[in-house]
Amino acid sequence: MCGIVGCIGRGDGTVDVLMAGLRSLEYRGYDSAGIALGPSMRVLRKSGELDELAEVVETTEPTGTYGIGHTRWSTHGPPNDRNAHPHTDETGRVAVVHNGIIENYAELKAELQEGGVTFTSDTDTEVVPHLIAQALDAGDDPETAFHNTVDRLEGSYAIAAIIDGSETIYAARQGSPLVVGVGDDCTYLASDVPAFVEHTRDVVFLEDGHRVIATKTGYTILDGDREPVDVDVETVSYTAEATGKSGYDHYMLKEIHEQPTALRQCFSGRSDALAGTVTLEEIDEIPQPNAVQFVACGTSYHAALYGAAILREMGIPAEAYLASEYALSPPPLTLGTLVVGITQSGETADTLAALRDAKSRGVNTLALTNTVNSTAARECDHAVYIRAGPEIGVAATKTFSSQLVGCNLLAEELVDGPRDLRPLIESLRNLPDDVQSILDSSAAEELVEEYGGSDAYFFIGRGTNVAVALEGALKCKEISYEHAEGFPAGELKHGPLALVTPDTPVFAVVTGDDERARKTLGNIKEVQARGAPVIAVTDGKSNAAEIADETLMIPETEERAAPVLANVQLQLFSYHLADALGRPIDKPRNLAKSVTVE
Amino acid sequence: MSNSPVSDDSRPSSAVVLAAGEGIRLRPLTANRPKPMLPAGTRPILEHVLNALIDAGVDDIHLVVGYQANRVRSYFDSTYRDVPITYHTQANQLGSGHALLQARDGPDGPFLLVNGDQIIDHRIVEAVSEAHGDGTATLAVVEGPEAVDYGAVHLDGSEVTELIEQPASGEFRLFNAGVYAFTEQIFETLETLSVERGELPLTDAIQQLIADDNHSVSGVRTDHFWMDATHPWDLLSLSRELLSRGWVDAPTVDTDIYVAESAHVHPDATLVGPVVVDSDAVIEAGAVVGPYAAIGASTTVGSGSVVSDVVVDTDTVIGSNTTAIELVAGQGCEIGAALTAAGGPADVVLDEQVYSNVDLGGVIADRVDIGGGATLEPGALIGPGSTIGAGVIIRGHINAGSEVVR
Repeated sequence: MCGIVGCIGRGDGTVDVLMAGLRSLEYRGYDSAGIALGPSMRVLRKSGELDELAEVVETTEPTGTYGIGHTRWSTHGPPNDRNAHPHTDETGRVAVVHNGIIENYAELKAELQEGGVTFTSDTDTEVVPHLIAQALDAGDDPETAFHNTVDRLEGSYAIAAIIDGSETIYAARQGSPLVVGVGDDCTYLASDVPAFVEHTRDVVFLEDGHRVIATKTGYTILDGDREPVDVDVETVSYTAEATGKSGYDHYMLKEIHEQPTALRQCFSGRSDALAGTVTLEEIDEIPQPNAVQFVACGTSYHAALYGAAILREMGIPAEAYLASEYALSPPPLTLGTLVVGITQSGETADTLAALRDAKSRGVNTLALTNTVNSTAARECDHAVYIRAGPEIGVAATKTFSSQLVGCNLLAEELVDGPRDLRPLIESLRNLPDDVQSILDSSAAEELVEEYGGSDAYFFIGRGTNVAVALEGALKCKEISYEHAEGFPAGELKHGPLALVTPDTPVFAVVTGDDERARKTLGNIKEVQARGAPVIAVTDGKSNAAEIADETLMIPETEERAAPVLANVQLQLFSYHLADALGRPIDKPRNLAKSVTVE
Repeated sequence: MSNSPVSDDSRPSSAVVLAAGEGIRLRPLTANRPKPMLPAGTRPILEHVLNALIDAGVDDIHLVVGYQANRVRSYFDSTYRDVPITYHTQANQLGSGHALLQARDGPDGPFLLVNGDQIIDHRIVEAVSEAHGDGTATLAVVEGPEAVDYGAVHLDGSEVTELIEQPASGEFRLFNAGVYAFTEQIFETLETLSVERGELPLTDAIQQLIADDNHSVSGVRTDHFWMDATHPWDLLSLSRELLSRGWVDAPTVDTDIYVAESAHVHPDATLVGPVVVDSDAVIEAGAVVGPYAAIGASTTVGSGSVVSDVVVDTDTVIGSNTTAIELVAGQGCEIGAALTAAGGPADVVLDEQVYSNVDLGGVIADRVDIGGGATLEPGALIGPGSTIGAGVIIRGHINAGSEVVR
């Protein structure tokens, strides 16, 4: 999904209006962005988040009195710099932004190439500026050149263009959204109203086939026959924030519910259940590393703990490091070590610093990230995408689940076989439905009625469930502001047990029925003896449910997949606890989504 | 939020879609999701409805959700095919008129109204949209014997003169297809009515408009494809129709054979068209799948299984050497090896009503576990979350969450 913006009549404020517009369309994407300004015909474009473009804008201070802009986000396939919008013709006389698909571009491209035009991108969009330039060369005036070009396009598009020597924005809509904002002496264009709603609430909603000719004195709307049409201006009442939440109260809840889809996307096409193999094409040439060091922060660090644990089980020495510590106190590296940075945004400054340190010491680096072409993805030797889709809530939910699946894919790809992966593949393929079954029937909300208002909340687990315990506690504290701590279950008696009272519920994550599960049952009794109520998060394989005071059940699955499920129950508890306390769940105090400072 | 374009003609480009109802007669399949989210082929019914609207030029969609609303929200999110979706919540399901009222702040100007649980050809939407001139309401009129089920329409030219809720059988052949265009007047009319007998039907408001000389209700005849699923076994015929028409969202690999790129079909498996295999599904060696098989995403059909005339929803595993004919299986089921569901006809009892001669091998609701070697007698219905032991023979209706052992 992409977003486009345009603005004319705002004089020197143009750049700020375009950048703010793009910012509010970030929900439509943010893996590359660009603007084109007139009358200078200056084009700035940058892959990565909008901040990257903002930085360029800040340092180069471009000026213009009208312009267009574009933002884009993708989970599949690497977008590269040359594919970022706006696109121009060979001489830079024409700049175009586009949202949608031009279906007959191959044909148009072939025709242009036959005429000697050189293309600089792989996009369908690029045919548009070339066609306009060709029409200009044939003697058309700019407006005719634009119309003649749009007449030739098939498919769905919202397009905006500026043409050298004409102080005008030309736009057309066919199948993709485009709206006009009517200001005092200025006109705005955008894929969606939030892009200019802070400047005007007077909006023209275009129909398919409509074209807009906007100048600093006003705008005209034409139909496909180039005849002016009279379209009403509507006044919208619009709360920009409601966009994109799909009726959920919070992005966090929406993203919790998006996990089945996110997990499906993460795993799709990356395994062959018939052959029992997992393939990450991005990294299939990496040899088996002698050791793996994970670097990450926050929730991603918990995913790293899980990743390191499963690699160790497979016989590969692996450790998870907090990125902020790693760069300053780097652990020794041996030849053949792979350093894996886990970062949702791919822009986390601490993680980038750790990865850079590792790279400077000559080892292979890999980014496990959600953001195509992010800094981490570009700077590392390899990148693996978790394909979770945009995550807007500050508290990471679906990206953690997808990171855990990503760790499994990574481990199975890195470590040489042969192994029969069919049970693992089956369990990962079942994750979407297993998560959905928790979403359909979780008792977490009822537990809040019972245990909300406690002095503190503790979370314990062993093995890979240590990561779940720590993540459960982090989620709880960051959105509910209640005191919460997570511990490896065996560590309780070495200190934290002093904190345990009848008013501190303990969440025990117990999956499977092995030595770890049995020992955790011992820890449950340990805290119950101090009067603490215990909530078992369990698959029912052990008798944790019988011992505990309350139970949050998860479906039975393989050991590797169970932590994903247990964590979903804890996400729901934290969410409902914070909601009951009236916390600003999507924007907890003092926190930011992507921490780009060290 | 108001996103509806206003044009110089009155062709509506906003649409309200009613997707709040459970679809009680489709139990036990609707335990976890509303009827619009049940599978038609390999995709939810509602996805086909939204496709029809968008193909007909709608660019602003308002979804009225209620029962298991999160299932709809998390599937479609805030845009579908680049068309913005606004959600309106109907907390209590008090009928179609009440549902529509929840979207009162949605569309500006004239708008279309469709049901989220009926599959329609986009040309029906276009016909209603085009025919909606100066009148207050326009509705699609279809000819067929179903008038008894859907409410008959009396037409005088293009003017609807009467809506007959429950006509005597055979008396009428024209019926209301549930595709409408309205001006905002409908909201005002609905607000003058009150909920009676726990319901505020839309047709009450339309009757009012017919009776009022200041308003006119017109009908537009159409014979394009229109299909509804009333009972669980209707999902089989729905899927058949969609497969026959190629209304399937997967690439064509051979005549009538549609397989998603990420699906794995063993070279020794046989696909018999029409058949669709959705993303990440696995068809093991020796399986014979089709004709008329819709295999959902991430579903496995085990080696040596023979399945035809089936709808298998996402994340379900069908064990090896299964025979499944005329079977509907929900999401996340684990079916052990060598299940036999040999197909109808059957007499099915649903809500104390007997339906005779139904072509139904069986219905397995979401997350049912079945042990090896079980048999479904024709017409068996297994409720969600049930566990069926090895070798059990299932007859009739098994309640949700049951455990059945031999």
